[in-house]
Amino acid sequence: MDNGMDNILDTYLYESNSLLDQLDEMLVKDEKEGDFSPDDVNEIFRIMHTIKGSSAMMEFNSLSTIAHHIEDLFFYIRDKGIESLNPGHKRELFDLMFKSEDYLRSEVGKVESGSPLSDNIDSFSSEINEFLKKISVEKSSSMEQEAQEYPAVPKARPDAPALPQDPKAVCFFHVFLEEGIGMENLRAYIIVNALKECGLEFRYYPADMESNPSVCQDLIDNGFFLSFESHEAAAQAEGIIKSQNYIRSYELLDSPDHTQDRDVPAKTQDSPAEDNVSLPAAKPAAAGPSVSAPSHSPVKQSLISVNLMKLNSLNDIVGEIVITESMVTSSPELNLLPKESFDNFMKSARQLRKLTHDLQDISMSLRMVPISGVFQKMNRIVRDMKQKLGKDVRLTIIGEDTEVDKTIVDSIQDPIMHIVRNSMDHGIEETQEERIEAGKAAQGEIILSASHTSSEVVISVSDDGYGMNAQKLLAKAAEKGLLTKPESEYSQKEALGLIMLPGFSTNQAVTEYSGRGVGMDVVKKNVESVGGTISISSEAGLGTTISMKIPLTLAIVDGMKITVGDSIFTIPVSNIRQSFKVTEEQVIHDEYGNEIVDCLGSFYPIIRLHQFFHMDTNAPNIKDGILIWVEASDCSYCLLVDSLIGEQQVVVKPLPAYLNTFELKNYGISGCTILGDGNISIILDILGLYAAAIKNM
Amino acid sequence: MSNHIESQAEKQPEIQTGSPSVERCLVFESGALSLFMSTNYVIEIINGHSITPIPMIPSFIKGILNLRGQILPVVDIRLYMGHEEMEFTRQTCIIVLQVDSLSLGIIVDSVQQVIDIDLANVRSIPVKRQQKLLDGMVTLEDGRVLMSFDCKALINDPC
Repeated sequence: MDNGMDNILDTYLYESNSLLDQLDEMLVKDEKEGDFSPDDVNEIFRIMHTIKGSSAMMEFNSLSTIAHHIEDLFFYIRDKGIESLNPGHKRELFDLMFKSEDYLRSEVGKVESGSPLSDNIDSFSSEINEFLKKISVEKSSSMEQEAQEYPAVPKARPDAPALPQDPKAVCFFHVFLEEGIGMENLRAYIIVNALKECGLEFRYYPADMESNPSVCQDLIDNGFFLSFESHEAAAQAEGIIKSQNYIRSYELLDSPDHTQDRDVPAKTQDSPAEDNVSLPAAKPAAAGPSVSAPSHSPVKQSLISVNLMKLNSLNDIVGEIVITESMVTSSPELNLLPKESFDNFMKSARQLRKLTHDLQDISMSLRMVPISGVFQKMNRIVRDMKQKLGKDVRLTIIGEDTEVDKTIVDSIQDPIMHIVRNSMDHGIEETQEERIEAGKAAQGEIILSASHTSSEVVISVSDDGYGMNAQKLLAKAAEKGLLTKPESEYSQKEALGLIMLPGFSTNQAVTEYSGRGVGMDVVKKNVESVGGTISISSEAGLGTTISMKIPLTLAIVDGMKITVGDSIFTIPVSNIRQSFKVTEEQVIHDEYGNEIVDCLGSFYPIIRLHQFFHMDTNAPNIKDGILIWVEASDCSYCLLVDSLIGEQQVVVKPLPAYLNTFELKNYGISGCTILGDGNISIILDILGLYAAAIKNM
Repeated sequence: MSNHIESQAEKQPEIQTGSPSVERCLVFESGALSLFMSTNYVIEIINGHSITPIPMIPSFIKGILNLRGQILPVVDIRLYMGHEEMEFTRQTCIIVLQVDSLSLGIIVDSVQQVIDIDLANVRSIPVKRQQKLLDGMVTLEDGRVLMSFDCKALINDPC
């Protein structure tokens, strides 16, 4: 049971979060256009309705109440048409909606983390109600008119306590809900649903209770009716009603038999009730006379959500299959087969290979998600900061369909957010005048773009603001004592890289959005933790571009297998620039005996891998081994290894948790992989190796 | 080899099965010591797997091995307990343990049998010197003395 509850909660969280994401996207888009489209009004209404319903079901009262109020608000707006709002109101509505979205989000977040929901929702709900009042006051005169033409539902039932018109019914249940439970219509509908699930044939009145919040008062005063065509069904229903919560009292009434007039218009009866019975998630149809049913039907999503754990184990197994396949097909025992059977075997084996590779491709693509989710969130950040900082900035998004591994998407969201905030806060000029003086368009621009290369995703954030002044950065770094060599020796690129040092922040003042001590150094660390690199280019006065290069996936690496002694190591091919042989004479020594080599006119240190790892080697002389010139992020050096074996795609596996205490990552060992013959190869982390070997030299 | 052990275990008379402190234990040898541990920790006994050494870790961790796709660290408990390393023989095998959801293999000189041991009879080791991996000793009915192997100490203190 507990488990079931967890599943429901997971579903609830997933659903609510995706609805809120959808809402956010819609709001940002609509605000840009300065108007809500009628479709979107319907959509917001639907979203709020769903959130309200599911939250009430889960008994998250703060969520359902707020959603309920917003639903009311949009019920009104939908009723009157969005055109009835003046631009001022619309602006206010946008602010209110963003605020509500944030509120709902924070509450959902609380549910997620298991902390208690806030009780104090009155001030916020009254804010929504006041806005509703404000927009409705101006329309009140016309509304009254309409109200007379189309009386509101409660008023349309002066005889509500009396039994509803239902000629076929034999008996009725008259049910009263407990007082003060809130959202009576929904509670009543939950009871109705419970009965429906038991397969009972019945009708209920008021028939529109789940979609029309205004019947609440009616339900409180007069209760609601369930009509049955047979006494047996009624007796069954009684048992179910007894087990339901929130029922104050109920009574069984026999139908006064066909004494009543049958010519009562049927529109409030069978048809809407029947419709709603067949569609539990029915659209709020026929809720108000002037409302046409929403014009679009919900798009059936051909998506399912899958537990990430399951996906990971699927990927692991597929990785194993690929390896096992090559183990089987390259097994030396096959040579013992007679020629003919061997050919037959290889024919099937080729088929198997093709299929396993297809399988691998598919399973890898399962983890890929478009980056648009992250980019959309930036829209919101830019919008909020625009208002707070009073800067006019437009965010241009390019390539949001680019697909990236799920883990990577999760870990680059914060870095991107930080960079966008930095650009907004410090990059773009303070005032429009300043921009115009500098000969730029009055409106600032931040471009967020993503694109694929063969093995990497390049994400860049560029602004057309102040740009960075290398001299200023150098002076600042000198002041903080962060320089490691004379100022004059820093190249432009190196100077810009200074901002990614820990303890460096060019802005003295801490603002709400940036400068909270979490600087670019954290951004750099995050990007590097997923195997990416970050680079900055900037032209003073023209703007800044920060690009991140991130591997498409962490699970599979194109590796170069190398040997040292009897061990096989794997180096990511993306880190390798070149491999070459040198003789003793070409090696230059510094005063401490460190070895240096000249590659294409620059000098790079040599790390003898066997020395660093204290291993045996088959190539004690540098001329017997081979040098691999590797590069990662901002470091570049040469590794001496015994020999190269060849290139292979490998599935990265973490080292056993038992070894975590030794922090092998700090020694440049990032994981391992299983080779075709079942042996294990250790994957080297070029950056970590550099940090361990060169920095400590 | 594992079949051989199991068949022995079946022949072993079930003593005091009613007592809650009786546990089925695996008896093995390492560096002239006879050791036992509860079979609850033992997943399987393997031999003939090649171990990939890992640089930059203490020498008692021999490396990692690939057990049907699962990567396991392998500890030579002889080295851990400060004894001399021994060449692998036909008897040498790796016991795969799972302790607190962590899997690892330990290299032992040989595996002997599975017997029932009443844990209530296990006495503490009288020598004051700190015992790294042993947390008790027990005398069997046939007069043999076995040492209790402490799997948790191995997991909790990998240094």
